[in-house]
Amino acid sequence: MATSTHSKASGWVGRSLKRKEDARLIRGKGKFVDDIKLLGMFHLVFVRSPFAHAKITGVDVSAAEALPGVVCTLTGLEISRLIDPFFEIGPSPSNKILDYPMAVDRARYQGEPIAAVVAESPAIAEDAAELVRVDYEPLDAVIDSEVAATDTTILHDAMGTNVVWNGIFEYGEVEEAFAKAAHIIHIDHLHMHRFSSTPLENNAVIAQWDDNDQRLYFWSNNSFPTIGIQLLAPALHLRMDQVRVQTHDIGGSFGIKITNYPQMAVCALASRKANGAPIKWAETRSEHMVSSAHGNERTFRDTCVALDNDGVILAVDSRHIDDCGAYPRYEPLGCVIWSQVTPATYRLKNLRIDFTQVVTNKCPVGPNRGYSRMQHLWFLERVLDICSHELNIPADEMRLRNYIRPEEFPYTTPNGCIYDSGNYPGMLKLAKELIGWDEWQAERTKAQADGRWFGIGIGTTLDSGTNNFGQSQIVNPQAPFSGNSQAANAKLDIYGEVIVAVGSVPQGQGHETTVSQVVADILNIRPEMVNVRVGFDTERNVHTGHSGTYASQFVVSGLSAVNGAVQQLKAEMRKLAAFALQASEGELDFGVGKQGPEIRVRGSEKAVPYIGLANLANVNTAVVPEELRSLTLNCRYTWRAPFKVPDVQKKYGNLTLTYSSQLHIAVIEIDKQTYIPKILDYAAVDDCGHVINPMIVAGQVHGATAHGIGAALMERCAYDENGNMLSSTFSDYTPITAVNMPNVKYGNIETPSPHSYSGAKGMGEGGGAPLHCISAALQDALYAEGLIIDDSHNNASTLFELIQKKRRGELDLNVKVERDAVH
Amino acid sequence: MSIKFSGEFITPRSPDEVYEFLSDPSKFGPLLPDFESMTLQDTTHFTVKVRVGVGNIRGTAEIKMELAEASRPQRALYKGQGTAVGSQITISAGFDLLPLPESTRVAWQGEANVFGKLASMAGGMLEPVGRKNIQKLIDGLRWALTMPVAEGAVGEAVRSPLTETPAQSVPLSVPSYESQPAAAGQSPQSLTEDDVHEGHDGNLNP
Repeated sequence: MATSTHSKASGWVGRSLKRKEDARLIRGKGKFVDDIKLLGMFHLVFVRSPFAHAKITGVDVSAAEALPGVVCTLTGLEISRLIDPFFEIGPSPSNKILDYPMAVDRARYQGEPIAAVVAESPAIAEDAAELVRVDYEPLDAVIDSEVAATDTTILHDAMGTNVVWNGIFEYGEVEEAFAKAAHIIHIDHLHMHRFSSTPLENNAVIAQWDDNDQRLYFWSNNSFPTIGIQLLAPALHLRMDQVRVQTHDIGGSFGIKITNYPQMAVCALASRKANGAPIKWAETRSEHMVSSAHGNERTFRDTCVALDNDGVILAVDSRHIDDCGAYPRYEPLGCVIWSQVTPATYRLKNLRIDFTQVVTNKCPVGPNRGYSRMQHLWFLERVLDICSHELNIPADEMRLRNYIRPEEFPYTTPNGCIYDSGNYPGMLKLAKELIGWDEWQAERTKAQADGRWFGIGIGTTLDSGTNNFGQSQIVNPQAPFSGNSQAANAKLDIYGEVIVAVGSVPQGQGHETTVSQVVADILNIRPEMVNVRVGFDTERNVHTGHSGTYASQFVVSGLSAVNGAVQQLKAEMRKLAAFALQASEGELDFGVGKQGPEIRVRGSEKAVPYIGLANLANVNTAVVPEELRSLTLNCRYTWRAPFKVPDVQKKYGNLTLTYSSQLHIAVIEIDKQTYIPKILDYAAVDDCGHVINPMIVAGQVHGATAHGIGAALMERCAYDENGNMLSSTFSDYTPITAVNMPNVKYGNIETPSPHSYSGAKGMGEGGGAPLHCISAALQDALYAEGLIIDDSHNNASTLFELIQKKRRGELDLNVKVERDAVH
Repeated sequence: MSIKFSGEFITPRSPDEVYEFLSDPSKFGPLLPDFESMTLQDTTHFTVKVRVGVGNIRGTAEIKMELAEASRPQRALYKGQGTAVGSQITISAGFDLLPLPESTRVAWQGEANVFGKLASMAGGMLEPVGRKNIQKLIDGLRWALTMPVAEGAVGEAVRSPLTETPAQSVPLSVPSYESQPAAAGQSPQSLTEDDVHEGHDGNLNP
């Protein structure tokens, strides 16, 4: 008897497969919210405050409503009578903030919605919006976070202070470490600037209230819809089940689209007022720049660093002030999320951080890429580099002396986080090889001897992924969140197609592709035989309260859920196939035969295709024996991360499951005539554990690198003293393009995570490594001028100002060194 | 976005004559650059429409003005607040008059604040454009104060070589409105806000 074997499909995980998504996206066949046209749909435009801070003394919509084509209007006062304010995550007094989706009696940031106009076309809505008359009484704008902290002008009367949250994080023996230090260095002031992520697609939402079934339907590009619904539904007096949210293709989010739920609420109310018509809001670019969400701006004050004789950092004591803009929204989670990376990549055991978050009259922040961790990691890299310069220890040597060593993993940080794996010295070695470290060092020596402003900088950073929402209880012990989870569903459809759905909300990360690779490997088929449902839909019931795409976690949470669901499906298929083929389960192989995916009795011609199994489970059920009738071939699996609730008193516990790491090196020369900094060479090394699709990972690394370089040299949300946002267009806020991007020498290492089933670690956000290494390179270039880089944003103009101030003797002394500590 | 401006010039007119001109909204208003029209509410309150903008970001601003201070013959201060192109604008413009032999020194100072889209999208260009417009206003004022009184020229619009729109005619000895020749079929009447209407070219006479 001839035996035949399956054409064995090769392993797909680990291969750079072209992305399934690209077939439609590159051809313009993607479906984005603004592509959706519904019958009877109207268009909504917001009237926005020109003032950063002003009392609203009157809103007159009569002229707008009289314009032909206008359907209805909404004002903030009207909305405040219809709904409750959004739930606040923070504790008292910040939970007293009245956060409505539009301003009621006071505008608190430029661009805050005051009223909404709904019309038959966007053009009519725009014209009508200009007819809305709003009377304002301007108030003093609070732009500086340190000024905000003095409470001279209170932004939210109900809160009674501008301080959203304050806490002290203290670990180890800080005083003792300072007492025995060989060196103590004081750094007066460091500042991480405000910037954003500028996704290609702006925020957009369509909402429709159906009075017949009393349900609210959303089509949106919110990237964390389950938290959005948890905030929206109670405010709108709806049950969670009454709200359906669908997403499809999303053109980037980077965390910015997590906080567009206020606009979703306004569209919902507008639909109800318009008798259930679908209402679309499509944000313009200038609206997005001024009033969507920005990244957190953070000031670091009064930093003291204790070091031993070898430059090993023994302790850090610092005061941090975080600016969350006019409304906390997703905050104050950022007040604790930074502590996922408390010591960064270093063996720092003694630390005290006095952390305060304040509101200001600026755009509310969102969990922008690298959320809260990037700010802290930049701070510690600056500390290390400043100490390295002051103690005259080379930057690479300084890092090697301070790094957590590979043999120390899994490594428990001072606050109880567990770094799963890593090899920072190995990454440094590879990065130095990639960039040609020795050659550039020789060039640097020569250039600096010639008086040129030439520097080399290193940035080591972490991308902590899959977070424990229990850390929310550190900022608010009453917060009802903890752990992390994700759901997936895998089934054989009636005709035997493999269909997988997962509760993620991809915005360009290639989830359809990586899911297909993982499923194909499990079932030993080909990725094109796996159908992955695009986007997110609450109606699929494949989500948990943590579902969304954020915090660099899909490869752990999403793929763990997929793995669980497909393993269950596989087990059911094996049972049913054993019945169909009258063989034992142990004799069966999964693979691809002449008819497509099938299960075959090893060493024989006997096989059953997937359609045969699906037939038994779905339409030919009477032939199936009783004991197998519970098999559905439709398996839902919820993956839950193995977290515990942290100790909220000690602020101690494991806050994240995996830690990808990045190490970048930049070589920069600043032109002495124009002050323009030019990147001469750049290397990026990434470690995200076991890589599912190297091409996708490389794309993510390049994207994060581009974004970080843009932020370091080109992108800044600039405000004037009145709270006008001055960089509201791409003429002034200049996102990096291919023209400005240096060639990146890319490499990666893999230190598999023991905390994920596949050894992969979440990645994608990056940890802001370009900001760290560019700040370092600029300081290296200018240290001979006696300059410290104390701001994360540096361009020709700021460098010129810095150098001129130094030459005029106007620069305050930012760094002081005590060479001899008290013994 | 705050633009501050100041300067001074000398005019051959007496402080009383200069003050008379400056404190009359119907004379001062049309000097505003890119003036379109004006509505008088009373002797100290008026609303002007002027074209504003930078590059392609343009529109019509409606600014409510008030003669906030009027101290004959030393000082006149105007304040205004208005909207344009999704923005709010506040203006203050003050004039201090110092008598000199056969002339008057006019010291002017003021501030314009812009909030909203204009500041956000055109912030970098607002200051030079603002200064240019202020200079136009001052140049128009200087020209208006140096033009001789023309017999029979009362009410005729006179085009200033320094502004793009017809300026108010100059005569400082302009008779009261009651004495202006009436249009055919109409009896002489006081100038009220009804006499200043949309699309007016700056000529305040019917």
